[in-house]
Amino acid sequence: MKPETLTLPADLREPAIFEGVVTPGGIDDQVLVYPETKPPLKWFVAITFTILLMLMGFGFIGYTVMKGIGAWGNNNPVFWAFDIINFVFWVGIGHAGTLISAILFIFRKKWRNAIARFAEAMTIFAVMCAGIFPLIHVGRPWLAFWLFPYPNQRALWSNFKSPLLWDVFAVSTYFSVSAMFWFLGLVPDIASMRDREKNKWKKLAYTILSLGWRGAARHWQHYEKAYLLLAGLATGLVLSVHSVVSFDFATSQVPGWHMTIFPPYFVAGAIFAGFSMVVIVMIVVRETMNLQNLVTVRHLEVMNKVILGMSCLMGYAYCMEGFTAWYSQNNYLIHTFKNIIGGYYGWAGWTTITCNILIPQLLWFRKCRTSYFWMILVATAVTIGMWFERFVIIVISLHQDYLPSSWEIYKPTIVDFGILLGSFGLFFTLVLLFARTLPVVATTEVKAILPGAQPHHGAHHE
Amino acid sequence: MSDRAYAVLGLFDTPDALMAAIPKVRDRALGKVEAYTPYPIHGIEKALGLRESPLGGMVMVMGVLGAATAMFFQYWMSAVDYPIVHGGKVPFSWQAFVPIMFEVTVLFATFTAGLGMLLLLNKLPFFGHPVLNAKAITGITRDRFALAIEAPEGTLDIAAAFQALEAAGAVDLEVLPATETSPQFTSRGVMGFLTAVVGACGVAAFLTYWAIKLFHVLPPMADMQKQPRLNAQAASRFFKDGTGMRTPVKGTVSRGHLGLGVATQDEAAGLPNPLPRTEATLLKGKQTYTNHCAVCHGASGNGTPTLTAAYGAKPANLLARQFKDYKDGQIYFVVAKGKNSMPAYGADLDEQQRWAVVHYVRALQRAQDAKDSDLK
Repeated sequence: MKPETLTLPADLREPAIFEGVVTPGGIDDQVLVYPETKPPLKWFVAITFTILLMLMGFGFIGYTVMKGIGAWGNNNPVFWAFDIINFVFWVGIGHAGTLISAILFIFRKKWRNAIARFAEAMTIFAVMCAGIFPLIHVGRPWLAFWLFPYPNQRALWSNFKSPLLWDVFAVSTYFSVSAMFWFLGLVPDIASMRDREKNKWKKLAYTILSLGWRGAARHWQHYEKAYLLLAGLATGLVLSVHSVVSFDFATSQVPGWHMTIFPPYFVAGAIFAGFSMVVIVMIVVRETMNLQNLVTVRHLEVMNKVILGMSCLMGYAYCMEGFTAWYSQNNYLIHTFKNIIGGYYGWAGWTTITCNILIPQLLWFRKCRTSYFWMILVATAVTIGMWFERFVIIVISLHQDYLPSSWEIYKPTIVDFGILLGSFGLFFTLVLLFARTLPVVATTEVKAILPGAQPHHGAHHE
Repeated sequence: MSDRAYAVLGLFDTPDALMAAIPKVRDRALGKVEAYTPYPIHGIEKALGLRESPLGGMVMVMGVLGAATAMFFQYWMSAVDYPIVHGGKVPFSWQAFVPIMFEVTVLFATFTAGLGMLLLLNKLPFFGHPVLNAKAITGITRDRFALAIEAPEGTLDIAAAFQALEAAGAVDLEVLPATETSPQFTSRGVMGFLTAVVGACGVAAFLTYWAIKLFHVLPPMADMQKQPRLNAQAASRFFKDGTGMRTPVKGTVSRGHLGLGVATQDEAAGLPNPLPRTEATLLKGKQTYTNHCAVCHGASGNGTPTLTAAYGAKPANLLARQFKDYKDGQIYFVVAKGKNSMPAYGADLDEQQRWAVVHYVRALQRAQDAKDSDLK
């Protein structure tokens, strides 16, 4: 054994990341009990509501497929509207999960462990919601496989110089990697559930899903390596995915899109929106599933600090948009910027600025960072604000571009709103199902960081 | 004690006790020493003398392979097999291929890390391991730490293993029989499941095939094919009379195709050639003659065809006296209206082209029968 050389003094170490006495077995009894028991009535009420919402959304999607995308409000020149807004919105929501599970893992932030599992699940569900939109946006979704380069009788290949194709690769890679990361984390937890479960069929299902995991030291050794590698890969990926999404805009010449700030601006916005969604969902999960001792107020406060930081970054990005418009002295860019703060859709621009920049400033106060009321207020505002930000970027830029003769006002139809609400229904249906079938807290990871969980605690073996 | 013993396993309640026991048990050299823990224990790989995981190298290799594969395929597809200029960029614009190269690198590396770890290094899924059937497994995946001495069937000294583990402080010792089956899985059950999966794949493939086949011809997906339009040789629903186009207003003349103003070839003899006999006119006439006339009348106008001989036609020898005596207007009339088996070219050639051809035919006639004075 190496001598203990670098040990932080007690007051500099990270404070405890749970409250009260938490034992490894206690975590199992607390967290894994939910999939084993029948859900309460409120769960059934909630999932009925979300399923109805989801079915309504799929009904409107079916209507769109039958009628064509003329059922939407999209027009010439606003070819991209709710479809792409919702896509960017949902992909962005997903980013918090990967950030928490990958980037904070690499930085060894222990507070991530209690919320990582749920955030990762939200990533996957959000990317699933996001994936629907480009699919229906192409108009004939049954031909969407044309997006992939496959040998075909027409002897054609996809255009690899198009950012839209990069997007196909980026989002599908993101989904695969997130799913792999999530599943690997789940395997040992599912093994715990397998060995607790009494019901024959549930035990069979958990046996299959746990792949026969038996906790052998030789397995853990490879497992930990794989997890570290995946975290590293996902870190690069999470930064790249929303950058590639922003290329869809930035590589075009539309005023308001053609900007070099877009990739970092999109990534910051994605983390911003994602953390807000995680805060909202974690509050609900914490209260309904009695996880107050594992997901502490400190977790929520740290997440709120991230939201505050990202809000400041967004404020900087918005100012840079204005500065770029002024400094470029490009009439079209200036016109687009004026449209954001004072045009027909000026109210959308101000909604964005209020919700994303002004309201989150409340989080400078410790009281707001630790009180449910203010947290939920800010997180909801950010979710709305980030949706409107994409509305501003897409619709305002498109509805008045270079050619005044083709300027046109965009008005969404009921189908647009129906599909948007339906995507929320799908997301929360999946979240609710997940909460009652799989461990919502990464029990194995939390066990490993409890006091006394590692031999000669205090020293880090890296 | 069964002969078919595979391992002796004992439990510990703390990771410190487990770590303290490992060297003691390993010193006895009774078999492979393996620990089973609910979560990864730092430093246990050194205590057990495990080699470092080769996963990093595997991921590195596959990541580089992913990058190379992506770049090569993008190069081959965009620059070799289907070179199309997009946005004025050269076919092999490697900068534009970087995003996908990155994504494929991550994809290859991720699947290597995840599946390589599970399938190759850990040999999972495997449901028949003796530990999974042990009484201790509920503790192992919860909060207890197991140490096992494992050896191939029949070679394990059970009494010595018991004694070694007890001396190291283990409790709840048990002997694990060398079973290869799981209570949840019998080989028949697994085969049945796999057969069901294969069958389901087959059904899904069949349905997908037909769905893709039929999607295009079912409404509303067939709307694009079935939109109102004109089809060749088919009646149209546009108009009551079933035609797809309207007859032009009476007296309509297409541009460049005014009427000749004469009814017979003899009447046409009086028409003067309006074009001046310039080099430009002759070049235009040559082009028109080459494109439309030479195939029958021959490049020099001598009626030696390049194509029509096969059909037994006898195109006129334009150099003959009869045609030399034609007035310009008469040749013009034949070009426009045709003569004998020669079809009319009025629809293909406008007025300018017809008169230019007349000039060129005159030039051919003179060139084939040049006089000495022409050379002066």
